[in-house]
Amino acid sequence: MNLRAALLLTLLGLPAVLLLAFGPRGAHDVPADRVVLRYWEKWTGVESVPMERIVERFNRTVGADEGIWVEYIAVSNVEKRTLIATAGGDPPDIAGLFDKIIPQFADQGALLPLDQLAVEHEIDLAGLRPIWLEICRYDGRLYALPSTPYTIGLYYNRRLFREAGLDPDQPPRTIAAFDECVRRLTRRDDGGAITQLGFTTSPGMLGWWHWVWPMFFDAQLWDGQRYRLDTPRARAAYDWIAARRDELGRPQLLRFEATAGAIEGMQNPFLAERLAMVFQGPWMSNWIASYAPELDYGVAPFPSVTAERRNVFASSDVFVIPRGARHPREALRFLRYLMRQDVLEELCRLQCKVSPFREPRPDFFAGHPNPDIAVFEQMADSPHAFGYPAMPMFAEVNTELLHLLENVIRGTLPPGQAVTASQQHVDAIVQRYQDMARRREAAP
Amino acid sequence: MSRTRGSLLTGLLWTAPWWLGFLLWLALPLGLSLYISFCDYPLLRPPVFVGAKNYTDLAADPLFARVIANTFLYALLAIPLGTVVAVLLAILLNQPVRGQSIYRACIFVPTIVPLVAVAVVWMWLLNPEFGLVNSALALVGLPGPLWLESPRWAMLALVFVSLWLVGSPVVIYLAGLQDIPLTLYEAARIDGASPLRQFWHVTLPGLSPVILFNVIIGVIASWQVFALPYVMWRTQRGPGNSVYFYTMYLYDNAFQFLKMGYASAMAWVQFLIILALTGLVFRLSRRHVHYRGS
Repeated sequence: MNLRAALLLTLLGLPAVLLLAFGPRGAHDVPADRVVLRYWEKWTGVESVPMERIVERFNRTVGADEGIWVEYIAVSNVEKRTLIATAGGDPPDIAGLFDKIIPQFADQGALLPLDQLAVEHEIDLAGLRPIWLEICRYDGRLYALPSTPYTIGLYYNRRLFREAGLDPDQPPRTIAAFDECVRRLTRRDDGGAITQLGFTTSPGMLGWWHWVWPMFFDAQLWDGQRYRLDTPRARAAYDWIAARRDELGRPQLLRFEATAGAIEGMQNPFLAERLAMVFQGPWMSNWIASYAPELDYGVAPFPSVTAERRNVFASSDVFVIPRGARHPREALRFLRYLMRQDVLEELCRLQCKVSPFREPRPDFFAGHPNPDIAVFEQMADSPHAFGYPAMPMFAEVNTELLHLLENVIRGTLPPGQAVTASQQHVDAIVQRYQDMARRREAAP
Repeated sequence: MSRTRGSLLTGLLWTAPWWLGFLLWLALPLGLSLYISFCDYPLLRPPVFVGAKNYTDLAADPLFARVIANTFLYALLAIPLGTVVAVLLAILLNQPVRGQSIYRACIFVPTIVPLVAVAVVWMWLLNPEFGLVNSALALVGLPGPLWLESPRWAMLALVFVSLWLVGSPVVIYLAGLQDIPLTLYEAARIDGASPLRQFWHVTLPGLSPVILFNVIIGVIASWQVFALPYVMWRTQRGPGNSVYFYTMYLYDNAFQFLKMGYASAMAWVQFLIILALTGLVFRLSRRHVHYRGS
């Protein structure tokens, strides 16, 4: 090696050596004698800030007393990563998942059942509203704890209500009254194109929960063995969607719906006052405050087919302990801290969600960013509140349900035929899963 | 004997990083995926052998037939169109004009933009009401379609967007063009060939090995199309499953539905399809590809 080459190598290598020696460190310095608890969570950005603060406080106080150090790791696609890590035998100690995934994970044996463990570690579940525990159960066992729960309601534009001659203090309670509102709130230009729409079930325009509509017609979809789309009540929901599309004009609706842009911003058609009513969760008020602070809106439960029965969709982000977690005892200590009412309500308030407790503390409402949070809280008390169907093959069924809704929305098939075809596909999916489960049980 | 054996051992030792890597990271996973394709395997439970059930189920799966049809259609539209556009652009960029390197950079730069960013930009450009594409069509009196929301137009929209990424093949065609001997053009000119005839009889035959290479790469890439439709359509399948492709269904089966056995069977079928198509392209190309060395 000549001198020039040696000099060049030194010049290139020296910065690397210096960076290695004195450069930034990725991890926090963990105090000695602490058990490091890996906590994977899906929240990033603004949503992760409250939890990071709580973790930091835990590490400083309870964690210091009990010798636990929680490492908060924001993970995209957290359910898939948790699944793969669990299959690989190296899961996190706690993971923050969505409730809809619980049956699938639990049925695969990926989660620790928490009924007994919660009792042993003095986690108080009695103070929680029953619906939030219900959605954390699968096959009678508790596999998760609610972190930030929410109900979904009807946001409506009060100004547009007034302009349409509707009383903004009397939001619709039944589907029939709702249809009348939609009619009166829909506006067109001279060419017949829709310029303002009352409501849409389109997945492309804020209709995130595309499977949910039969529930507002009092349907019972999953009975533990079969997902029933072909009942009169479920069929009525798809007939209703098709009839409204026919009435308002499918091509005009499709063109209007195709203009939907980003949800967080003025491309959101509800914020832009182009869509008068929308089925959304309590976080919507954050977007309103940021992008349309002058918007005059109200919140009500979504109408059901009869005024007597109040069907409410309830869902939650959840905490789970994956099977094979290295420190389940410490994970439960941390969960006990998180499930304290003051801690969990702080998290829920800052994430603009409802409180999971039967009796929220007064300061929960006082400092809540959603002025209508009490409406969402009341909805959770409905005896007809429902969560995702507790079926382990729901992910696959859900894609078929999306296809069904698309068929009805676009008029690809008459609603009756579309439902019948989807029922066959859903039956096949469920049957295949059940066959697989039987084969697994029969395997040596 | 000992010397031969010693040489063999030395050779094996020095090539160990490659063959160990090959065995561990390629051969073993391939073998395992072949085995899993004959099993029920939901990832968190041990695989259960089910024979050829996954393959027979695939044959009866209407969605499988749909994704195959979609992927074939995409390949049939995107590969010829992409090839024609790329060759024409390469010929234009090969002309000795001022600012040639700037034009070349303009064509190539879009290919280094992340696919997700490309998808988001095109979602906006193709928005029926606010998008630039329909605004441009309106200027010449044409009604713009619902590009992303119509089953009829969604596939064409995707093919159109895929042309945005034509820069890589253009660079390869450009290199191919510069490799064609100028003497052939001189001979053609002396024989009185027009520019069009020069293109047909000199440029295209000279470029044919490069076209073959790009077509094969295009066939493989079209059977792996994923990111653009995944981001551009909220339902991740497009209206009426019109932009639901093979790799997307494979991914859904593996990571959404936890049907690893079914997904592995799909992966092997995909491998065989790509192998067959590549073989077909080679066979069809025999009479049309001209190698200078032959």
